[in-house]
This record gives sequence, C-alpha cells and structure tokens, in this order.
Amino acid sequence: MLVSWNWLKEYLAHEVDPAELAHRLMMAGLNHEGTREVGDDLAIDLEVTSNRPDCLGHIGVARESCVLFQQPLRLPEAQPPVSDTLVDELTGVTLECPDLCYRYTARIIRGIRVGPSPDWLAQRLQTIGIAIINNIVDITNYVCMEIGQPLHAFDLSKLKSGQIVVRQASVEEPFLAIDHHTYTLDPAMCVIADAECAVALGGVMGGAETEVSANTVNLLIEAAEFDPVSIRNTARQLNLHSPSSYRFERGVDSHSVDWASRRCCELILDLAGGELSAGVIDVGRRPSPSKPIILRWSQLSRVLGIDIDRDIAGHILTELGIQTKRQDEQSVEVIPPTWRRDLSREVDLIEEVARVHGYENIPEDARVPMVPSQRSDADRVLEIVRRVLLSAGFDEAMTYSVVSEEDSSAFSLWTTAPPLRSSTPMLKGADCLRRSLIPSLLRARRVNESLSNSVVELFETARVYWPEDDGLPREELMLGITSGGDFFSLKGVIEALVAAIQPAATLTVRDTSYDLLDATHSAELWIHDQLSGYFGHVSEAGLKRFSLRAPATVAELRFSALASIADLKRQHRTQSPYPSVARDLNLVVDEQVRWSQIADSVRSAAGELLEDIRFHEPYRDPDKDGPGKKRLLFSVTFRSSERTLTGEEIDARREQIVAACRADCGARLID
Amino acid sequence: MASQTDAAAPPPRMQLSEFQQQLDDLAQSAREDFSQATDTESLEAARVRYVGAKSGRLKASQKLLGQLDKSDKPAAGKSFNETKQLVESAFNASVLRLEQNASDSVHQEQFDPTIPGPRPRLGHLHPITQTIEELKDIMGRLGFSVADGPEIEDEWHNFEALNILPAHPARDPLDNFYVSGGETTSVQTMLMRSQTSTVQIRVMENTPPPVRIISLGRVYRPDTPDATHLPMFHQIEGLLVDRQVTMADLKSVLRMFASNYLGTDVHVRFRPSFFPFTEPSVEVDMSWQGGWLEMGGAGMVDPAVLQAVGYDSDAVTGFAFGLGIERLCARRHGMDDIREIYKNDVRFLHQF
Repeated sequence: MLVSWNWLKEYLAHEVDPAELAHRLMMAGLNHEGTREVGDDLAIDLEVTSNRPDCLGHIGVARESCVLFQQPLRLPEAQPPVSDTLVDELTGVTLECPDLCYRYTARIIRGIRVGPSPDWLAQRLQTIGIAIINNIVDITNYVCMEIGQPLHAFDLSKLKSGQIVVRQASVEEPFLAIDHHTYTLDPAMCVIADAECAVALGGVMGGAETEVSANTVNLLIEAAEFDPVSIRNTARQLNLHSPSSYRFERGVDSHSVDWASRRCCELILDLAGGELSAGVIDVGRRPSPSKPIILRWSQLSRVLGIDIDRDIAGHILTELGIQTKRQDEQSVEVIPPTWRRDLSREVDLIEEVARVHGYENIPEDARVPMVPSQRSDADRVLEIVRRVLLSAGFDEAMTYSVVSEEDSSAFSLWTTAPPLRSSTPMLKGADCLRRSLIPSLLRARRVNESLSNSVVELFETARVYWPEDDGLPREELMLGITSGGDFFSLKGVIEALVAAIQPAATLTVRDTSYDLLDATHSAELWIHDQLSGYFGHVSEAGLKRFSLRAPATVAELRFSALASIADLKRQHRTQSPYPSVARDLNLVVDEQVRWSQIADSVRSAAGELLEDIRFHEPYRDPDKDGPGKKRLLFSVTFRSSERTLTGEEIDARREQIVAACRADCGARLID
Repeated sequence: MASQTDAAAPPPRMQLSEFQQQLDDLAQSAREDFSQATDTESLEAARVRYVGAKSGRLKASQKLLGQLDKSDKPAAGKSFNETKQLVESAFNASVLRLEQNASDSVHQEQFDPTIPGPRPRLGHLHPITQTIEELKDIMGRLGFSVADGPEIEDEWHNFEALNILPAHPARDPLDNFYVSGGETTSVQTMLMRSQTSTVQIRVMENTPPPVRIISLGRVYRPDTPDATHLPMFHQIEGLLVDRQVTMADLKSVLRMFASNYLGTDVHVRFRPSFFPFTEPSVEVDMSWQGGWLEMGGAGMVDPAVLQAVGYDSDAVTGFAFGLGIERLCARRHGMDDIREIYKNDVRFLHQF
C-alpha cells in the first residue's frame, strides 16, 4: 500500500516527522518497505498483512498513526447536499445473486461537467501511482484509496433502461472491459448488468460501454460489497487484478460502504458540479454488528510474559476504536469496530494490546527451563552414511523431488505404480514425484560433464514417493550414489558403508536386470534377507538417454534397510595377543564358479581359527589353464586367542581348504 | 688469530692450550669454507688458504710449534698432525661432493620435495545440509528434539489444523502443488507440504504436552526460480508447548539461537505480523553490524491450533517460529543466487 504523505497529513491533527511515523507504523505492524520522493510529496510504501484490509486506505493508516501518537483523527464529513428528486424515481437495482454480491448501493448525480481533476487531487493519485483519467474517475479512485472501499461511476445515460441488475454471468458471456479487452465470463462470476448486457465485472473492473466520457452528464455511483472468494477466483481466472479486486478479496468494511458513496458524491458535487438525488438505493444484507469479546486481564501476562497495567491495556483498546461494554476486576467485555473484522477472539485483543504497547517491552532474557533433547537413531545412522561417503570422496548433492515424465520413466526400482503428479509442474515440464533418485543424479552428472568437471562423485539422501492404496503416499528415504569409478570400486564403498553401520552384516548380491543398468555389471543388494538396494554400471542406452559421455555407475539403497541393522552401541572384544599366520592361495576354477562359492567353501573348511579371507584378483591364462578357466588369487589369515599358531598346523588347514574347494567347486591349486 | 712473528725477535712463549685452540679454530673454519665451496675454483682458493705450501694457515700454525715449551711439543705435534688430517679429509670430501654434484645433475634421480602429494579426495557436505546440521545442533543444545513427518500431506495437517480455513488464499490451487495420480483410490486431497508446521500438528496429535521440537525439511510452493526464490526449499520450525510458555520465552529462545548462530551476543526485535497459526504473530529481526537482519516469522501458537490437536488452550500455551534455510545458507556463505544450490556443480560443492 502506497501512502501519499501530503494526503495522509490531512487526517492527522498532530505534527510528525514522516520517517518517525513510518518507523512507528512498522513497529506496530505496517512494515515499511521504503519511502520515495514524488514531486513535493512522499510515497511511503507500507506492507499491509492480509488480516488488515482496514489499512488499505489512507484513513486506515491515519487511524493507526493516531493510535500510536495518541492523537485525534480528522475525518471528512461526507454529507453532500441533496436535491428534491428521489433516487428511486430515476433508477432501480435488482440483486439476483446475494451470494456473490452481499450488498449493492447506488446514488444518482445529474448535470455534472467532466473535466480534469484539480492539481491537489491529481498529484495525490500520481504519488501513489494511479493514472489520472478525468475528475469523475479520479474521484472514485481517490475515495477508494481514502477509505479502502472501491467505487464505480457509470454513465447513467448509457445504461439501458437506466436499471441495474446484479447477477451471475451467463455461460461464456462476453464482456468488454475498460481496458478494451473482451473477457469471456462464467456463471461463478458476478456481473453488473443493465437491461441488456453486462456493464461491469462486479468488484473487478468497469465496462467500456458505460464508462464516464467527456460527454457524460448523469452518473450512477456504485458502492457495493462482493464475496471475497468469488472476487479472488474471478480476478485469478481472468488474470485481471485491480486495486478494487485487491480490496474486495480481503474484505471491506460493510459500514464504510455508504460513507464512501456519500464521500464520493460530496467530492463530485465540489469538483464537477451537478445535483445529487435524495436517498440511496441499498439492496442486499445489512451490515451485521460486531460480536462482543471478553478479555480476561490475566491472559495478557499469561501469553505475553509481562504485566501490562490494566488501565494502559484498556486505554489502548479504546484508542483502537474498541468499545467497552462492561468491565470488572477479572475481565473486560468489548465490541471491536466494524473495520476490524480480524478481531473476534480474546487472543486477538491480546495481540492488539501487545503490539501497540510495544514488543520492545517484552524481555529477551527469560529463564527458559532446561530440557535434554533426544537424538534419533535414524539421525545417527544418517550421520554415519554421510561420514563414510564423504571419506570415500563423494560430494553431497541435492536435487528436486519432482522430475520430468522422461526421467521418471527412466528408472523405477521400487514400484511399478505410476508416479504421483503435481497439479502444476515444479520446474519446466517436471510434474512427476520421483520414484528414484538415480535419474536426478544422472542429470547432475550431465551438468558436471558439460562443465568439464572431470571427477563427479555424488550422493544424495532424499525421499522417493509412490502411491499407496489408501491414505497418504509412501515416502522412503533413499541413498542415491553415482560415481565415475567401476563396479567394484562402488561395491567396495557400499561394503564399507554397510560395515560401518553394522560390522557383522552379511551383504550379498543377486543378479538383476534393468534397462538403465548394464546387463551383467549390475546387481541387487541384499542385507541379510532384505532387498536393500541396486547398483551397477549405467548401460550404453542409459548413458545415451542422459547424454553422458563417460561411463558411470549408480547405486540406490533404502535408508530403512541400513537403519534397521545399525549397531550404535559397539561392544568391546578382547583382541588376541598372538600373531596371525597367513597363507596365499591361487586356485584354477571354471568361469562359472563365483568367488562367493569359493569363499563359502573356504569358510566351512578353515575352522574356527580363520580370521579373514582376502580376495586379491582374478587372472586368466588360457594357454596354461585351458579355455573357460580362471584363477582366483586370495589369502587366508588364521589367529588363535590362546597361543601362537605353528606353520605346520596352518599348512594342514590350507590343505583342507584346497580339498574343500576341489570337492565343492572343482578348484585346482597352482603351486 | 696468531700474529705474524718476526724471525729476528726472541720467540715469545706460547701455552699448549692456546695452540690447540688455534688448531681447533682452523679446522672448524676450514671445514666450513670447503663445504661452502660451490665450484672447483672456490674450493681451490680455499685449499690454498689452508693447506698452501707457502702461506697456508696450516703452515703458519706449524711455525708456532717452535714457541712452545719443549715438554709440550710432542702433544702439540700430535694435535697438529690430527688437525692437518682433518683439514685434508674435509678438502677431499668437498672435492668428491663437487664431482658428485656435477654428475648427479645430469644423470641421476634427484628427490624433489616440491612435488605435490597425492591428496585423498574428500567429499563435501552440501551447504544446505551443513546449515541444517548447525541449526539442529544449536536447537538441540536448547532442548529441542528433531521431529519428522511426511512431505506429502492432507489438507487437515497442511491447512485446517493450522487455522488456514477453506476460503484462505493460501489454499489456492495456484499457490500449492496438489498431488494426484498413481493408482490411489483415496479421495482425499493431498499436496506437497507448503510448510513444515505440518509436523508440529502431527507431533501434537500424538503427544501430550509438553512438546519441544524442531521440524525441518523440504517444502514446496509454486514459484518461478530466480536468484531468491525456488519452488522447493527447506524450512526449520520450532515449537514449544507447555504450561506457562510466554512470548518472553519465545524472544529469549530466539535470542539464544541467534547469538549462537552468529557467534556473538545479539538482540532480537519483534515486528507485528500475521500468520494464521500464531497469535500474536511477529517478524523476528536480529541485530547485526549496527542494523537489523530479518530472521523469520514467529508467534504464540494460536488457540485454534491447540484446540485442533486436542490440547486445552486454557491449560497450555506455546510458541512457534520458522526460518528459511536457503536464505540463512546464502547469507552465511555469500551466495547471490540460490539456484546454484540445486545445480550440483562439484566446483560449487567443493567450496564449502
């Protein structure tokens, strides 16, 4: 809300510095956005919160000022002289849609002269950025900006039959507005019509057909109250926002409707001449009286934490125009003014007292009782996840929760259900709630590739979403990883991560098949018997789909699978004081034999002294070993907690291992 | 330094200790000069200075032997010979050194300590996470535990229970990401939460007072991305409900929070504002470098909210506050365009 300083001063009986006033208003709820010089005037920009439509006019701002400085408010009389002609003889109003238009009033002025506005009026409107049209239109705008009640002046002679019908628009009813655009209306919208067609879009914009022109002599002055929600919908739907719709959306003071109409007529008679017909046509509901509110004095300190003297509090309420009906030691019963529809409860009054009394009076050194905070296990696990991945050289990424249809369809590991969609796209073309983090991370790879960033190692912990049959959608926290390293380096990171969360966890892989992943270099991750994730190389097709040049690996793990196995209270185990003994093995096996099979055989044959099995590398030498064969190089380590092991007994163990591998997997030892 | 002696004058007597001191000095200074020689020319000059047959310093010392007592002469002669050997071997070592250098510089591997070490690649935590962790840490010390809730919410938790009634403009479809689709048969309206206050409602619905929590996470509001707006961002909200919780407690907690975050004692200022779920509602500023910095919104929990979750609003009061994390993060790290935050350029991430 822009306020003209010269204009505002008119209502103040006291001298005040504009900067001080702006500051005081800010500290009382009208946030001061800035002040700009316009000619010899100041345009003071105040932010008016949606609960305070009464401050969308200069009088409202002046009223606040007068409360803060405890000065009287000077208001115009708004008592224009009237002629002998009765308004009822000249026009009539039919209100057909009381749900859209609560109340409609009309006055008639005849014999006016349309011309330019006087300088004082034009300058005030210019200060607050309102275009100057002619004296009549300017006056309606002026009064709107004075009291916050929008008004409209029709050229009476252009209204067919001189009658007003307030009704719903018909289906696809065309309407030519004063901006000379034709809008297509629908029945949820309220129009002001004459005997033939819509002449104004109620509360939003006037019509071109009946607008005041240089030749206009007779006027119909509309002051009405429209339903806020329908005004908001209409303005939004047509993208037609005006100072008028802005005020009706927030709600006008029903008691100001008639005052604004009289004030408008008063100014027209002063500045454009003419005769005001006697009386007013006033249809629709009467303004309802404000309901009384009881404020218990004890509640002030209970909420605010300070004692405010009862007399001071009572005085503040009175200054705000709040009438006291009854008062005693315990409480006061009051009636808020009609322009403060936001005041309906005790706590609303507490806020009024507090803000006028000044929040600076509330101390900032209260002794808040100490309470220990709790940290969840999930939070601790998340910290381990981050720590391991950072140590492994991965940077944390953060990507949007909503992706494009194309990216959504690229990869869905966890559900076959179609993605949830947002009503409007979050970013261009992105309206699918993601079911996997992988597509977003591959997009991030692409961004980095395009910037020639050579090493792109990223992880993200974020939720994915999919629909449930009943209730809110499923949301699962996932750990997504993408790397430029190969299958086994990524697997190593995952193994290290799982071991960091639970050293005893058994991580196994199973074959899988997804279009985005390479057919062989990809696998499901199982922790114990729970499917916990997927990882592997991005397939050629996948790389192409995301316009990636360099090979990439990805992984996605359920955070819940990690959290559920976490060992957060580690137990000490005495370490053996004896040295370990290691033996290397080099076995030739068929290509089909997997390391996991060999490892199982080793474990079962090695006995309880086995400390560790460490895989070194595979090796292929078809000349020596024949086709379809591979060598597996690994070492085994033994240790006893009771004694130093001898070379002989470990050699015997090694023989057992070799024998078991031969029996189980057809392995042959290379010496 | 021994003075030159005149042959004609009667030789003055000299103490053995004095003679040995001279020899020690000579050896010391010869070693230094030889080792400092950087080429054969300077080494030769040094050799002449010390072992020169005519006027070398060794020769001069030898002449002093005559001035010693007869009884001291065997010891002095022994010392002289040792010194001579020391000087000669120091000279030979430097000859070798120079030869070595000459051949090294051309043919042999040399250790170069200026080569950079292979740095382990260290990952970087996203600046938003860093900011969140810092806020969690501070609020944790003030006794606030973290609470979590769904990002996709029903209208009850996102609006109604927060006193945002059906006609409220905040519920406009154009101001929210309503969610539909999938195979859900549910008829309830869902939306991506527009604030983390939803979590407060869920916690209060399931926990009797007292409640002292923070909720943080992603929130969503349709906004065209620009330097200061994103359709997805993070919020942190705090809630304290108990008997006798007042606005003074709110101000005090926020002051402790701000002082802790900025690392210096600051003051907080309340300006009246409006939020449907708090009454009174305020904008919070913190004093910073002689001015005021906007911090976020706060207020006393609206009695309608307490009643909506089944609390007795005459028995308990509460306060709530909310801050935008991107703004805090951008200000802390001097970012002028928050769109960078979700681009995931590794060069951006490595700055923090």
